Amino acid sequence: MDLVLLLLQQLSVYLVIAYLLSKTPLFIPLTFISGRKSHRIACYVLFSSFCILGTYFGLSIENAIANTRAIGAVMGGLLGGPLVGFAVGLTGGLHRYSMGGFTDIACAISTTTEGLIGGLLHLYYLRKGKIDNIFKPSVVLSITLFAEIMQMLIILLVAKPFDQAWLLVQSIAIPMILANSVGAALFMSIIQDKKAIFEKNYTAFSNKALRIAQRSVGVFSQGFNAVSCKKIAAIIYQETGVGAVSITDRDKILAFIGVGDDHHVCGTVISSDYTIQAIEHGEITYADGYEMAYQCSISPSCKLGSVLVIPLLEADGRVLGTIKLYEPKQKLFSTLNRSLGEGLAKLLSNQILAGRYIQQQNLLNQSEIRLLHAQVNPHFLFNTLNTISAVTRKDPHKARKLIQHLSQFFRSNLKQNIEQVTVQEELDHVQAYLQIELARFEERLCVDINIDEHLLVLNIPTFTLQPLIENAIKHGTSTLLEKGEININGYFSKTNKETLVILEVIDNAGNYCKDGKNIGLGLQIVDKRLKNKYGPQYGLVMSCKTGIYTKAMISFPLINQQAK
Amino acid sequence: MFKVIIIDDEHYAREELNELLEETKLVEVIAQCANAIEGLKAIHSLKPDVVFLDIHMPQVTGLELLSMLDPDNMPKVVFVTAYDEYAVKAFEDNAFDYLLKPVESQRLHKTLARIKSSLELDKIQQTEKIDYSPVLNHKLELIPCSGFNRILLLEPNKIEIAMSEQTGVHLLTDSDKFTASLSLKILEEKTELIRCHRQYLINPTCIREIKLLDNGSAEIITRSLHHAPVSRRYLKLIKDRFGLIS
Repeated sequence: MDLVLLLLQQLSVYLVIAYLLSKTPLFIPLTFISGRKSHRIACYVLFSSFCILGTYFGLSIENAIANTRAIGAVMGGLLGGPLVGFAVGLTGGLHRYSMGGFTDIACAISTTTEGLIGGLLHLYYLRKGKIDNIFKPSVVLSITLFAEIMQMLIILLVAKPFDQAWLLVQSIAIPMILANSVGAALFMSIIQDKKAIFEKNYTAFSNKALRIAQRSVGVFSQGFNAVSCKKIAAIIYQETGVGAVSITDRDKILAFIGVGDDHHVCGTVISSDYTIQAIEHGEITYADGYEMAYQCSISPSCKLGSVLVIPLLEADGRVLGTIKLYEPKQKLFSTLNRSLGEGLAKLLSNQILAGRYIQQQNLLNQSEIRLLHAQVNPHFLFNTLNTISAVTRKDPHKARKLIQHLSQFFRSNLKQNIEQVTVQEELDHVQAYLQIELARFEERLCVDINIDEHLLVLNIPTFTLQPLIENAIKHGTSTLLEKGEININGYFSKTNKETLVILEVIDNAGNYCKDGKNIGLGLQIVDKRLKNKYGPQYGLVMSCKTGIYTKAMISFPLINQQAK
Repeated sequence: MFKVIIIDDEHYAREELNELLEETKLVEVIAQCANAIEGLKAIHSLKPDVVFLDIHMPQVTGLELLSMLDPDNMPKVVFVTAYDEYAVKAFEDNAFDYLLKPVESQRLHKTLARIKSSLELDKIQQTEKIDYSPVLNHKLELIPCSGFNRILLLEPNKIEIAMSEQTGVHLLTDSDKFTASLSLKILEEKTELIRCHRQYLINPTCIREIKLLDNGSAEIITRSLHHAPVSRRYLKLIKDRFGLIS
């Protein structure tokens, strides 16, 4: 019984050492089973030392040693695998052998076996995909218990003379089995705690980073400016809980939130040396307020005591601005926020670039729509006014009608930001235009519209049909001495794979081939917008037979319509 | 009172201008034409003092029509357009008369007054002709021809021979004969056709052979075996053109 207590006492010292070691970075590789060489070597070195330590802490009894060597061997095997377990066991065993005694060979063999047992269990769980089980203290307790029983059997089998070995085992079996299994379980529980803390930090870090990333998505699509920066700064301020957050461009503060916002005013020119340095060199600067003093460059009474300045980089490495995290004087910068800050800068840099891309894309789309509007051709307008002016004399009622058509035409042209309209709406727009042209050209123009009524409710991009018809009149029928005819057709066309919506505008001039097959900007935009929306195989196709017809045909799939 | 022709492809535009002109009581509108070809014919047959000419018209534009007119027998021209930045700029630069649609009657009055005084001046002395060349095409793309109840626009390179006869200017292609609404002189100036005789133009790319005759003249046979006489005067020029030593 004395021996049990003594051995447990030794074990305590042993575990205190383990606990202290767990505070060092040495322990971090142990918390994850990575199978890397570095991990294996770390396991071998650490647990071999514990193995040897276990022998030194042992108690001499009847020319043998009661010890806690098994903990190192089993743990080494568990965490490092069979190879490491064998190596640790062998190292511990050889060390024990060098100390002599009648059980020296038996101990060397048994320690090696114990390492191997740990390793085999590691392999077993690895194969079953349950490697995390080895971190369970209960598992460690059982396997060490088993290993120690094995050791006792090996001593009985190998150590000579048997009588002496039998006596020894009788006195040391229970204390050693008990001490080693409990010790190994406690040791593993220390590692498990470490692992839990590490994972908790890691999760907190990832969660914060993810939440910031999620909340900041799309903010920069409005551009990198005071408004978007203010939003981003607020998000970071809330999520990280630092004292203050600031975002600058290369010259001035764009956004500031938190402690000291009374004198860190947006628009103030950058004066802090740290920021200037970060911008000039494109590197992170950090003043922790302890080793490196930090004093706010704007106000001497500023409560901020430390700062982390991270440059925001362009794709080509040029510095776009900085993001600054501050802590007040009485608070220290957490390492978590430091590394988070660095990650944030990368995230924000990417978002700014993406935002700029989206912004340009939007601008392009908008300018294209504007262009279509602007394409309302002044020639058309003045001719219409002239027609109305003539009609007014003879037929004021008709003149009024024409003015209504003209205003409807312009009204729908002015609906700038609408992306989509139904075919019916587009046709109304077309009708307003056609009524005017029919009045202008009178007997020289004849339009036939033939559209499947199921098609009228479908959506199409605005200004899809009108440019085609305008084109057919301007470059088609209006160049004819004889009567101009325009057919506008809409129908469904079923192929094996899908149902296509077809809209076509056909004139009887057939000038398109003659004009060198260059389609005007207006038609190019129509085509591009359809392709953007539905895919490259759809859009506008022009065909022509000189002097006979020009056909502008639009196709797009029916399916996307429902999914809209 | 002076005689006016209106040429515009839009019915209401003609009507409107007609009304405005009638209101002034200064002019007599003797014809309204719906396209340049009709207009060309009317100008030739009716010999107006003034033509109000729309620029945008089908097939043959107002400016093309102008280039088909003989500069020596040109009526006064007033361009009418709804909108054409470039043309208007050219009119401004060259001090041509022009009106913008819808036409203001005040502006029309001014224009008519100016034309009136210029016409009166013409009667007393030979005034300087207006040079329209800055806005005109130097080569014609299409030659308007009249057939039986139809108008045909012929590409100049299809013409093998153009000849002036009592009944008008005739154009021979490989298989057809057309009557052109243009004078030989204009054809010579504004197409690739070259003069081979006082009454004949020949397309140099269509010559198959030049048969030299005893009296120093010659005869050209075209690819489609049309014959054209070559007078002595022009034979030398043709030879020079083809690098032949006479």
